[in-house]
Amino acid sequence: MRQFVQQLVNGTVLGATYGLIALGYTMVYGIIQLINFAHGEIFMVGAFGGLTVYRYWLPESLAGNVWVALPAVLIVAIAVSVGTAVLMERLAYRPLRNAPRLAPLITAIGVSIFLQEAVRLFYPGGKRQQPFPQLISSGTFDVAGVTVAWVSVFVVVVAVALMVALQVFVKKTKTGKAMRATSQDPESAKLMGIDINRVIVVTFVLGAALAAVAGVMQGMRFAQIDFRIGFLSGLKAFTAAVLGGIGNITGAVLGGFLLGIVEALATQYVPQGSSWKDVWAFIVLIAVLVVRPGGLLGERVATRA
Amino acid sequence: MAALLEVRDLHVAYGQIDAVRGVSFDVDAGQVVALIGSNGAGKTTTLRTLSGLQRASGGEVRLDGDRIDRLAAHEIVARGVAHAPEGRRLFPRMTIRENLDLGAYRRRDSEVEADVAMVYDLFPILAERRAQAAGTLSGGEQQMLAIGRALMSRPRLLMLDEPSMGLSPLVMRTIFSTLSELKTRGTTLLLVEQNAQAALGLADSGHVLETGRIVLSGTGADLLRDEGVRKAYLGED
Amino acid sequence: MRLHRPPPVAVAGAVALVVGCLSPWATFAGFPGKMSLGGFPGGARLFCLLLVAGAVLFVVDVGGRRRAALATAIGATAVVVVNLVALVDQGGDIGSVSWGAWLALAGGGALVAAAWRLPSGHPPPEEWRRRPAAIEVAVLATGLLALLGAVVWGLEIEESSRFVSFLVFLTFSAVALHHLGLFSGLGVLFNRYPRIAMLLGAAVAVAFPFTQQGNAYWIRVFASIGVFAVAAIGLNVVVGLAGLLDLGYVAFFGVGAYVGALLANASLTTVHVHLPFLLVVLLGGCVAAVFGLVIGLPTLRLRGDYLAIVTLGFGEIFRITANNWDGLTRGPNGISGVPDLAVGGFDFGASHSLLGVTLPGFANYYFVELVLIAGAIVVFTRLNDSRIGRAWVAIREDEVAAAASGIDTIRLKLLAFAIGAFLAGAAGTVNAHVTTQVSPDSYTFLESILLVAAVVLGGMGTVPGALLGSTALFVLPEKLRSFQDMRLLLFGAALILVMRFRPEGLVPSRRRRRELREEAPEGVPGLAGATGAPPGGPVS
Repeated sequence: MRQFVQQLVNGTVLGATYGLIALGYTMVYGIIQLINFAHGEIFMVGAFGGLTVYRYWLPESLAGNVWVALPAVLIVAIAVSVGTAVLMERLAYRPLRNAPRLAPLITAIGVSIFLQEAVRLFYPGGKRQQPFPQLISSGTFDVAGVTVAWVSVFVVVVAVALMVALQVFVKKTKTGKAMRATSQDPESAKLMGIDINRVIVVTFVLGAALAAVAGVMQGMRFAQIDFRIGFLSGLKAFTAAVLGGIGNITGAVLGGFLLGIVEALATQYVPQGSSWKDVWAFIVLIAVLVVRPGGLLGERVATRA
Repeated sequence: MAALLEVRDLHVAYGQIDAVRGVSFDVDAGQVVALIGSNGAGKTTTLRTLSGLQRASGGEVRLDGDRIDRLAAHEIVARGVAHAPEGRRLFPRMTIRENLDLGAYRRRDSEVEADVAMVYDLFPILAERRAQAAGTLSGGEQQMLAIGRALMSRPRLLMLDEPSMGLSPLVMRTIFSTLSELKTRGTTLLLVEQNAQAALGLADSGHVLETGRIVLSGTGADLLRDEGVRKAYLGED
Repeated sequence: MRLHRPPPVAVAGAVALVVGCLSPWATFAGFPGKMSLGGFPGGARLFCLLLVAGAVLFVVDVGGRRRAALATAIGATAVVVVNLVALVDQGGDIGSVSWGAWLALAGGGALVAAAWRLPSGHPPPEEWRRRPAAIEVAVLATGLLALLGAVVWGLEIEESSRFVSFLVFLTFSAVALHHLGLFSGLGVLFNRYPRIAMLLGAAVAVAFPFTQQGNAYWIRVFASIGVFAVAAIGLNVVVGLAGLLDLGYVAFFGVGAYVGALLANASLTTVHVHLPFLLVVLLGGCVAAVFGLVIGLPTLRLRGDYLAIVTLGFGEIFRITANNWDGLTRGPNGISGVPDLAVGGFDFGASHSLLGVTLPGFANYYFVELVLIAGAIVVFTRLNDSRIGRAWVAIREDEVAAAASGIDTIRLKLLAFAIGAFLAGAAGTVNAHVTTQVSPDSYTFLESILLVAAVVLGGMGTVPGALLGSTALFVLPEKLRSFQDMRLLLFGAALILVMRFRPEGLVPSRRRRRELREEAPEGVPGLAGATGAPPGGPVS
């Protein structure tokens, strides 16, 4: 039982990251019906951006100070991810706005490979694992025999806060409403005076910012990053988005946590679970698409974005 | 004085096919102008081009003397042209109130609330259902919301595409009486209709489109009396 | 034929180029092609000199001459620029460049300027004048021989800078010839004599190993390309004909490879059975096809982009399973020591002598693959021209409409999946012998993407496209060793650029080109007043 709860906790932490990344997939899909295959790489470059500040720009005296280092790392991570995403949208996706569906998907795969390779080749030491700073204490505490790391608490709290903030943004603000309008009927949105190119950019920006935060979290939890981390995390997050019902923000969050928990439990309870740990996401993905293609909140695929 | 909207020799093509081939007309401020014609005559394409959804392949469109035919749709809206498109095109999963708010997307003034009240006044049924999703409304109510939403931008020119489409005669009459109410308030209307009787009855002037060209122009009353129009569009022999 | 008086700038440019190409380009010795010496067009200077031949277009009046002249002039200039960069890189500074290169550069610039100012003129004829069949066939044969010649010539070039120059030369020559209507003319001839053309193509392919004078290196590379090409044609059935993007296609190839390795009694294996090779090829194809059906059955009703991700998932599941199922696949170690094929006493691993040329063992596999490719081509073209092919077109363009007009879309999509998987599986069995070992890390997502790229870059829906794409993806990295590490980066960039600027690929299918080039129709043309569907809205 204790082990079960422990895995639930682990899964929740894992799921927080998936959920944050999944939001980017789901929003972009809601707006332009593109599976942004390169979104995992946006997450990855964010982590590298954060690492860069810590390693090269922060003076040593400040690097140990959580209140300086953590915001600095997060801000630069977000800036790098957002910059990359905006360039990607402008240069690679926008020219294909009216092309047949598969063209932008193939482009997205190209962008994904390009970004991975760019980091591998041009980031100092990019070909190997890079240690990521433990910005928050690496300590843990016990609740009823279940061990929880402080980093995990941070990860879950920040993720949930961001998710709530995004919901409020999309529901309440003018830009948020413009996003929903664009996802429901882009042409009609234009007739309202909405600049849908701007809305699309905002969507990429929001998704990238959340992914960047997820990237920093991932680095802090595993203490290392490399150019490959975006691929699997991206696919799993996509699975989470589909699981929740793509286009649906609440769904992405729910899907993220569920997938994290499924993965944690399966790794624990299925014989030799850990050598199969990356399979569960795919099995979940296939199962969802086959049984309930609309996802869990399928009836509300409606409230896209 | 120049007209509010001037359309000169407008051409629009879809790939190889020319949908609009040299259409010219004016809309003066405060006027109601009707474009009538059968399916495929190019009426909707003309409106879509005026509001920037479609690119003209030739010709000019001027609003207050300024070219607008190269502007993006959202910039044209900002200049005071509202377009209630064919098929209403509401945001089905947003509430009536949210749809109206989006109609006022470009506005920064403080009188949005007052205009919402004005729309509710014009169409009381919308006020009753303000928190309901637009997709759940009936056809007539959707058309009312589409017109109301277009009014929310306080347009200088309101373009309506087939407001009567798919509506029962009763509901259609309600819609047209609202339109004539708008006309008396001085709203400039450009109306595309297949229902020539209703449209020409309301219009100061009208143009008949056939295969992308204007074949006949005149005042609404003249066109209603015209032999050819009566035969082709009013079902008389 | 009418002749023009060439503009003086063009004459001056051409003369400067010719003189420049016969003069030294380097001030230091040791640059490939004896570039420091003059009097002969050594090294890359030859390509430059050949491109000057395009200057003839200033005089003769043929359709499309402006663009063709422009292409050759830009090509010649580009060759000079490539070598300038390489010279400065090797010599250390700008002083390493000798006057010949500068003269050639100036000449190239003048030619470009002159070509730019040529009148557009008339386009090349749509179709060549009919001539006696013998002559037309001879023209076809010459074209294919030229292709073989270009390949052999390119492979012989050792140095990177010279090879890049060669590529520039080849590209711009091809562009020029394209504008002169050569390729469309050849295409017409190809369609007029399809059988003869195929036979000629086969003859050229068979001739290739004989041009290598016993050298195994490139034959070995081409033996790898062969298997890959069979798989690419199979994928082209799935992607190009049926329009289903499969991102896990390499799994079928892997299934075939494991079947081939396990049934060949390899030295490190788990199954000690040895079945006849032909049976194994068929078996590998069938097992893969069954996998295709199993995967396709539940997933093919998904929309295209979802399907792509699900197939990716299946591909990864295959790889991870192969990695973990020690009892059958020996896990990460894989099956190794797969013996060479031996059919009726003929050992495929040994070299053989034929017509006075020693053919290394890989040539045998290469020939086997040619047979497989021929089979795949037959399957592909037969399907493309059949009712099934037309139904696939319908599905590709509008699945709902296709279903509404009575096409059993699921069954036809399954068929495409199964055929594609069969071809990949059959290719996989051969590959087990070529590489002598099979392990999970050969079947990664990236390999699937490479296959997709071969199809996309070459041209969706065409056989030459798949062949060209596979060849380019293998040969270029081999040739451009100095860029080896950048391979994937360039590859990613290439995918983006091709989708942006030439989505129909290098060898487009005519139909596919139309589909990709037209903007998604907004509203129904000409029926603007009649459509109820929201144009441009989400179409899920």
